[in-house]
Amino acid sequence: MKLIKSLIVIFLIYFSFSCDQGISPLPVQPEVSGFEGTITFVSPWPDSITRTHLVIFKNPLLQPSDFVLTNIKFISNEIPFGVQSYRFSSLDTALIPSLPGPFEPGDYAYVAVAHQTTEEISLARKDWFVSGIYYTNNDTTKPGILKIQENKVTRNVNITVDFNKLPTQPPGG
Amino acid sequence: MIRLITILITFYSLQFYSQSYEISGRVTDMEFNPIPGVNIIILNTSYGDATDEKGNYHLKNISPGNYELEFSAIGFAKKKIKTSITNKSVKLNVILFPEPIKTDEVIVTAGKYEQKKSELPVSTEILYGSTLTERNFRNLEYAMRTIPGVVMTEDQISIRGSSGYSRGAGARALVTIDGLPFYTGDTGEIVWEMIPTTEIQRVEIIKGAASSLYGSSAIGGVVNAITRNISKFPRTMINAFYGFYDKPYYNEWDWSGEMRPFNGITLSHSNTFGDFGFNLSLTRLEDLSYRKDDFSKKYIGFLKLEYKVSQSSDISFLVNTFNKKGGSFLYWKDSRNALINSELVTTDRIETNRYLIGMNYKNLLSEKSILFIKGSYYRNNFADNGIPANTSTSHLYRLETQLTSSLNERIVLTSGAEVIPSKVKSSLFGNPDAISAGLYSVADINFDIPLIISVGLRYDYGKLDSLESSGSLSPKVGINYKLYDNLIIRSSIGTGFRNPSLAEAFTSTTTSGLTVKPNPKIKPERNITVEFGTNYSYQSLFEIDLAVFQNEYYEMIEASVDPLDGKIFFDNLLRARIQGFEASVSVNLIPGVLKAYSGYVYLNSKDIEQNKFLKYRPKHSFTGGMEFRNWHLGLGLYFRYQSRVDEIDNELIDLGIVRDGNLRVPVYQTDVNLSYDLVALNLPITLYFNINNLFNYNYVELVGNLRPIRNFSFGFNLIL
Repeated sequence: MKLIKSLIVIFLIYFSFSCDQGISPLPVQPEVSGFEGTITFVSPWPDSITRTHLVIFKNPLLQPSDFVLTNIKFISNEIPFGVQSYRFSSLDTALIPSLPGPFEPGDYAYVAVAHQTTEEISLARKDWFVSGIYYTNNDTTKPGILKIQENKVTRNVNITVDFNKLPTQPPGG
Repeated sequence: MIRLITILITFYSLQFYSQSYEISGRVTDMEFNPIPGVNIIILNTSYGDATDEKGNYHLKNISPGNYELEFSAIGFAKKKIKTSITNKSVKLNVILFPEPIKTDEVIVTAGKYEQKKSELPVSTEILYGSTLTERNFRNLEYAMRTIPGVVMTEDQISIRGSSGYSRGAGARALVTIDGLPFYTGDTGEIVWEMIPTTEIQRVEIIKGAASSLYGSSAIGGVVNAITRNISKFPRTMINAFYGFYDKPYYNEWDWSGEMRPFNGITLSHSNTFGDFGFNLSLTRLEDLSYRKDDFSKKYIGFLKLEYKVSQSSDISFLVNTFNKKGGSFLYWKDSRNALINSELVTTDRIETNRYLIGMNYKNLLSEKSILFIKGSYYRNNFADNGIPANTSTSHLYRLETQLTSSLNERIVLTSGAEVIPSKVKSSLFGNPDAISAGLYSVADINFDIPLIISVGLRYDYGKLDSLESSGSLSPKVGINYKLYDNLIIRSSIGTGFRNPSLAEAFTSTTTSGLTVKPNPKIKPERNITVEFGTNYSYQSLFEIDLAVFQNEYYEMIEASVDPLDGKIFFDNLLRARIQGFEASVSVNLIPGVLKAYSGYVYLNSKDIEQNKFLKYRPKHSFTGGMEFRNWHLGLGLYFRYQSRVDEIDNELIDLGIVRDGNLRVPVYQTDVNLSYDLVALNLPITLYFNINNLFNYNYVELVGNLRPIRNFSFGFNLIL
């Protein structure tokens, strides 16, 4: 009888804990300005590629002098060689900016995937090839504008890369 | 005077015979399989009988009156039933339930030949097939959670803390079906859902390294599923169920606005024609799931053919097929959308086709020697809807020969050799080949004391494609000492090893926000296990089993993030120590009617270089249950507790891949089972009703993966 009483006490303790509902939804956190998307690689990677990055320019690349560090607002970490898709977000660690955080709201004129074939990393325009461009509204005739709003993440910033069919290269290449 | 007495005796005897009746019926197990050899006695009389092969019994020449019948059989709980005879014969069909306490009577094949459980030097648990059916465990994975010392992190098994979670790449327990290893050639994972649970007679779980007999993968233990014996009579089973998930506790999780249903049906038939017999079953399972993108439709086929070649030899073939089309839920969007797939998940549909074909040949070479030849082929194929699609096809072949001999009255020697080549063609892992081979020998030496010493040694060779080949020597020593008939002491020390799976060595992919890179330098991991245990039972009323254990892991393979490039890879990262204590108790509170059981495990699992807890290992876990069976009614209450795990995949949270992934709580799961058999109406049907997660408690085993919310199911099991 003592055993049964002990079991009942254990069950009651157990049940009282079980009646707590466990995990519950956290309150909504305010979003920060930023972007996220996916790069899809639809062709095999050429062996000659030494590094690949996502790059975002504030102003359009109309002339070679627009390809300057002051115009570059984001350079992702290196995209792993050979991957078929790559997910990115402005909250990822990146080469530029050096610390992840809210991305400055505004319009960004040129968002692209760019690769190099040189052994050493180079900032010279001639050493970079654009392998994919972000387009909007299904218009592939001109680069899409990335719009970043205050306290909002711009999603689906998706880019397709076909190494066999590179897009129109910006001036200076 | 003597003449008068003689006349009276004759008169009463004639009257007795003219008014005598019979009590007859059939004795079966819970699934209406006949139990031959059941002793039936009418208490306080000299009447008695035993059941025949079909489970039938007849007690004749019973005069009217009130009687109590006792039914007893080896391996089953005794049952007493009261009945009265007035003016007609009585038909009394009876169901007997397995008796788990009398360990001396339980036969296991964990040592690759039939032994009594009580004579093993290692901790072993038995799970009966009838439990799988009754509690509607249509995936063996769910049932494994009820075993003390076993922790499941989603579909990955951890026996006494052997494993964390590596998304299906490799397993630290070997699962076999009728002794045939059951892991895929590419990922080395266990596909639990492929095992046809309605065809399982029992599952034996060996805790601790068993590589000395089973080789790679058995580093943490072995799960040995034994399929049903083929019926000697035509036997058809129809099992069906329908169920639904309750609404989620929080309204914001209610993504569908409806109670999501699930259902399943199994048809199986078994028969014997002369020297030939078969078990055949087909199962269809459909689950619309409580989570979005997590639905599934599965078809499981199973065929077991047995042919008695001669008086001393037989051969059996086993075919297990599995087709699944379904969603692919990886992790939640966030805690407010806990039942919706993350938008980072790029592939949300998957189709798999798997086939296992096996052969078991057994030849009694002499009174003292049995030869076994086992072969199998396991084809595994899956494809998802990624752009481009990820596909993988693997072929795993296996051939083993084993000789078990009684060298003399004291020594049983089991020796064998096996070879396992595999081939993979995959967009994820490339096209690697692998081959492994092993030689083993285990001697069980019986002394009069009574003491059994088990000594074993196995050598394994492994070569994974371009990786350097490796050799592993796995010795093991165990003792089993029966201090008294009901008090057993056991102890063992053994080593284990595991070759990395092809997936761990060669995966190269980016999916759903994760990039995995290959590691061509990965090496096998190794461990040493020490266990000391004792078992005490008092008649069939009470049993307690205690064990302390320590596992030392060397070069343990874990998934990690390379800080240089943020990519995930598998490497020999850890020097780990897992220590623990295990206690399980079974009590027959009212023999044959009410029983209770529980198991507690304490685990201290440490990465001893970094002095951190190992991932996904709860420090405390507790399982328990109470079962009542009487008047054709069964009522079970089951519960499971696990303390909150200390360490998880923090990288997935830090990288922003699993939002709110840090949310985790202790596990409290309570299930209820209600069953009712219609044997009293001469109908071979059992009806059952299950409530899982009675309190709708929300918990995760893996980051961002809420376990099933409260669900209800009802079904039946009909045997013709």
